[in-house]
Amino acid sequence: MVDFGIPIGAGIAFGLGALGTGIAQSKIGAAGAGTIAEKPETFGLMIILVAIPETLVILGFVVAAMIMIMLV
Amino acid sequence: MEFAYVNARIRGMRSRLLDRSLLEQLINKPDLDSLIAELEKTAYRQELEKAGVLFSGITRIEVAIRKDLVRTFRTILNFIKGEDAEKLLTIILNRWDIQNIKTILRGKKIQAIPSEILECTIPAGQLDEAALTELVKQPDVKTVIDLLATWGIAYARPLILNFKEYTETRDMQVLEYALDTFYYENALSVLKKDESEDARILKRMIITEIDVNNIKTVLRVIRDRIDREEAERYFIKGSTEFDTKKLLSLMKTGTIEGALKELEYTPYQFLTKIPQEYIAVEKISAFEKEMERYLVKKAVSQFLGNPLSIAIPIAYIWAKYTEVTNIRVIARCKIAEMSEKELREALIYV
Repeated sequence: MVDFGIPIGAGIAFGLGALGTGIAQSKIGAAGAGTIAEKPETFGLMIILVAIPETLVILGFVVAAMIMIMLV
Repeated sequence: MEFAYVNARIRGMRSRLLDRSLLEQLINKPDLDSLIAELEKTAYRQELEKAGVLFSGITRIEVAIRKDLVRTFRTILNFIKGEDAEKLLTIILNRWDIQNIKTILRGKKIQAIPSEILECTIPAGQLDEAALTELVKQPDVKTVIDLLATWGIAYARPLILNFKEYTETRDMQVLEYALDTFYYENALSVLKKDESEDARILKRMIITEIDVNNIKTVLRVIRDRIDREEAERYFIKGSTEFDTKKLLSLMKTGTIEGALKELEYTPYQFLTKIPQEYIAVEKISAFEKEMERYLVKKAVSQFLGNPLSIAIPIAYIWAKYTEVTNIRVIARCKIAEMSEKELREALIYV
């Protein structure tokens, strides 16, 4: 019998990470756009700040991959 | 409403406000020309250049900083156009309508020159430059009120209701208090219906303003020995800490010292630290200045509040207004050749 718990667990790990990244990036992106409008010289810094929440989804992906590879 | 974009822009604008060291440089300038030259290195450059075509000297500074202030406030209002917060921000900006109407009414009472009255107004609220220009052209107080009524401006109502009393007493305070009361009651009634965090933040600020106005009234009433019944009608309702009962108990003390003693253990405790010589001669302007400082500091401290709320626009509007007032004070003091000590006393640092 197929155990659905493993892929569902991996999906939750990846999905929640992606959701968190989306929420964080929406706020940082809006604030970053405002900052760049006033101070164009902060463009480079803003790109880095917007990218930082990507770590959440990367961690989610890694955890999901570990579940799939190590537990299957 | 989503404040991330708006507040980031406002924080960016805040970085262009004059800091303390730049204010010091302005204070140290020997004359008006060098003051203008220093101001041209700041964000006021654009407006100073425009104003320089038609005006010179103090008028150039006055016109430039006034236009810059109005442009800044309009920019902020445009950021949130169509959003729920627009209603809240309009409440703050309408303060300038009240201030402008009071300025025009006072100017008309003393029959000042229309251009001089217009120079003292700040068209940041509902009444724009064109409307104010039309108002200052009116020959007297009555026609100003009539014109406001014709345009359907809500502020005409309290003025019409109290005009009869004004004609009997010729006391401008009757109309001024009517306007203040109308503004604050109207603001609180709008905020009462709104249960958002932004409305709560603004309500706290409005109530502080009411408290400051009421305490100023109490001190003036004590100094002028006005009787209780007459004084009571000048209190603006809406505060919970300083309600009519508390204000009357302050009044009952009968002396400035007594009232200050009652203010201990309240946020207005700082008033007790005012030098004794001012208290002895009942110099109310010293108390008013301190309370103005308190209000500005409280408003500007909102920069430390919730970064995704209306706290940031509120703080910025106050900080910008204070900066413009400071530049005006410095420029006027340079013309009047006042001492540096007097100049520094008149400034409010944020």
